[in-house]
Amino acid sequence: MRTFSRRTFLKAAAAATIAGAMPLAGDFTGFVRGAAEAPVTRTPSTCNGCSTNCAMFVYVKNGRLWKLEGNPIAMKNEGKLCARAYGVAADVYNPDRVQQPMKRVGDKFEPISWGQAFKEIGDKLTKIIDKHTGSSVLWLCHGGKEAYAQMLLDEIGSANYVTHYSTCFTSKTNAWDKMVGTQLTSDINRAKYMVFAGRNYAGGIMPGAMKKLMRAKERGAKIVVIDPRLCELAKIADEWIPIRPGTDLALYLGLAHTLISEKLYNESFVRQYVFGFDEFWQANRHFTAEKAAAICDIPAETIRRLAREMARNAPASFLEPGYHGLHNHYVNSTQIAQANVIVNALLGNFYQHGGLMPSASPKLGKLALPKRLQPEKGARADGAGVNNEYPTVETSRGIAQHMPDLIAAGKVKALFIYHFNPLRTAPDPEYQKRIINAELVVSIPVDWNETSVHAAHYILPEHYFLERMEAPKPISGNIAHDYPQVAMRFPALKPLHNTKDVLDILKGIAKAMNIDDLYPFTVEEDAAAQLKPLGITVDKLREVGCYEVPEAIKPGFPMKDGKPALNTVTGQVEFSVGIFKLHGRQGVPTWIPPLVSPKADNEFRLIHGKQPWHSHSVTSNNPHLLAITKSYNGTWMWINKGRAEKLGIKNGDIVTLEAKIEYKGERRTVQKSIPARVTEMLHPECVWIPSGYGNFSPRARFGYQQGVNYNDFAPARVEPLSGGCMVQEVIVTVRKGGN
Amino acid sequence: MAHYAMLIDASRCTGCAACRIACQMQWQLPPEVFFNRLEFREQGTYPNVRQDIVPVQCMHCDNPPCLKVCPTGATYKRADGMVLIDHGKCIGCKYCMVACPYDVRQMNERGVPEKCRFCAGHVETGGQPPCVATCMNDVRIFGDLDDPNSEISKELKRRDVFQLAAHKGTKPRVFYVKSKK
Repeated sequence: MRTFSRRTFLKAAAAATIAGAMPLAGDFTGFVRGAAEAPVTRTPSTCNGCSTNCAMFVYVKNGRLWKLEGNPIAMKNEGKLCARAYGVAADVYNPDRVQQPMKRVGDKFEPISWGQAFKEIGDKLTKIIDKHTGSSVLWLCHGGKEAYAQMLLDEIGSANYVTHYSTCFTSKTNAWDKMVGTQLTSDINRAKYMVFAGRNYAGGIMPGAMKKLMRAKERGAKIVVIDPRLCELAKIADEWIPIRPGTDLALYLGLAHTLISEKLYNESFVRQYVFGFDEFWQANRHFTAEKAAAICDIPAETIRRLAREMARNAPASFLEPGYHGLHNHYVNSTQIAQANVIVNALLGNFYQHGGLMPSASPKLGKLALPKRLQPEKGARADGAGVNNEYPTVETSRGIAQHMPDLIAAGKVKALFIYHFNPLRTAPDPEYQKRIINAELVVSIPVDWNETSVHAAHYILPEHYFLERMEAPKPISGNIAHDYPQVAMRFPALKPLHNTKDVLDILKGIAKAMNIDDLYPFTVEEDAAAQLKPLGITVDKLREVGCYEVPEAIKPGFPMKDGKPALNTVTGQVEFSVGIFKLHGRQGVPTWIPPLVSPKADNEFRLIHGKQPWHSHSVTSNNPHLLAITKSYNGTWMWINKGRAEKLGIKNGDIVTLEAKIEYKGERRTVQKSIPARVTEMLHPECVWIPSGYGNFSPRARFGYQQGVNYNDFAPARVEPLSGGCMVQEVIVTVRKGGN
Repeated sequence: MAHYAMLIDASRCTGCAACRIACQMQWQLPPEVFFNRLEFREQGTYPNVRQDIVPVQCMHCDNPPCLKVCPTGATYKRADGMVLIDHGKCIGCKYCMVACPYDVRQMNERGVPEKCRFCAGHVETGGQPPCVATCMNDVRIFGDLDDPNSEISKELKRRDVFQLAAHKGTKPRVFYVKSKK
């Protein structure tokens, strides 16, 4: 491990690459004097530490990053920023950024010019498309800057736009899309009673959600947190209810049963706005709170009390629609999401203040571009929306975790991986490494992540987010806010290295493929066109950072000609999903047990979550955030004290986790060692590890080999209905001692 | 003359450590040098368990033990209440580090013990310390006790507060809200 010198924050980049002098004198007094005298610029941007996009102002002094301040207008952060924001911003100077285009030569990378890289990639891509059609090209990304990549895919005739969401939360969006036709968000500002399950706004942080929750607490609203772990949000909740992991579906069905059997549900809402209520009740009328209690390890009386309290406060109450915690990691994740919709609908809280409200999203414009003659697209390579493969998976998100299968089957020949690191954030890295077997793999990252190092043929480094302008971003979703907002990233710093923004990278590739004028615009022109309908200019947004449209959204169920008008087949909330039935599955959720369950004294379910200062692998190479990890033993695996004692494990002891990966011909045993945090704050049947560790890229030196990662223990499976990766369907054995 | 103080409501803290790194950025500190820390403590047994988190930093004591033991006068107290360090006068003897009952001083690589400066040079013109400004849970309130209309003056009147290790007679200027639990 390297040692850090003082002022590493500013100095981290190799000194040679930084022309400007340090703005710092040797001590605070000097620094303060320097601060007073040096010219300071303040540029609006949005954080890149996770996908919340907190709006902020970036302070730059003498051309170097100084500090950040949250933008008070932005509803997702209300002027606040979490630790990640500072870490990810400071990483602009991280020496482990990719500093110029690189080409793989054997096991090593050699520098290549942008021109040569574009030429080689363009030539290879043209040949691949000529031979295998555009359907053999796939764009794999985090998701969020669809438009520019989508234009290239449209031009070559590829339907393969695939996001990381199938490793994150797709069962939620899938269920909401099919049952409600939209995603509703929790109106924390007006709620009286809130139940959070598998959603930890203080760990997977959304600062604006925490601000709203704290205000809600002050005015007397109740917060209940259901989680196998006493998570950070549970710390400030009125009640923490631990649950056996993998059984939240049983709890939700028990809540629904109580609401219906005790006639606590909103009958008039159900009569007017729900389709399939009888079908749901027929299938679940015997699933009582007692039955749920035996499965989920929460007393029946508690389940009934929760249902009654939610009903008493309805419609200003909700079962929070959730996120990563439950909506990807279990075989029953799709049904969990369905049951969540149903519990909320029974409360009649849809489109109600204090319940669930639609996202207030600004209506952005579109750049007028000449129409192009483009080829017809073939079937998606990942199988999303394809008959006999994964017909019910959302095509807007796709399936990210089985790329090596698609490559081995000859479906994918060329793969672009943009702002995504599947070798670390998707299951089974040994399997994911086979991505390298495609004919062409181009990674577009900012740092030397695992995917770039172990699987890419070319690495085309993007400008850091503080160095680039991006098209406007609606600030909406997850939590309700009355007014639509839009924010934008402006370049606060000049690019430090030989990098480009993604639009210029795509322009270079298109040109090398002899595709003329595919992108006849700049980011700024695109931004201006998008902002036009709002009546504001790019310069106005540059001034305020985040703009709020002064037209509030109103409560009330969407109606047309006196009939419910949701974007579903019936216009109603559909408790039974027709397309699931069409493909031989059940339309309504009923209890489905987890795939695997721990049995022996040394067996545990392996679960994971976000630590408040890391954002999966995105922040895991930042020295300041890793120093927080060191201070608080952040890499340690949590284990329940009673269970640990039986295995002779004391706090701080090194333990070894072992799992068998047996799936589709994969047959391996994985063993990893890590210190144990022995705690009373965890359900006895699981062990918990934070998600941001276990880096294995030797070129990301700060985080290299710190801690372990949950993906090491899980095979790359696909949940059939929503495409989730089921990584918490994993049993590990735990023994005292190192590997 | 202002008289600066801080009020911490530890019951609101969820342990995200944004205060630590926001401060590091303000003062351009290396990863290992930080001016505020969190003390974590579990109480009870599963499932009847709770977690306490207490943010700790220099208390800017009115009777500072670190100042009394400093042989060179490097540690001094300003009229506005801030306890600061004159780096030029420090000989690195570490007496102050031993004397501090709150264990908040850290040696930097140049042999000078460092600690929270109450954002001297930043707050006089109305700025908020970044540990206060960045906190999503509004754990901290900073302000001027001589101004009866400041938020901290009002909150100190309204809330039941205490000081850490008050029995040592240090008279800290950092106050804590008494927990209701």
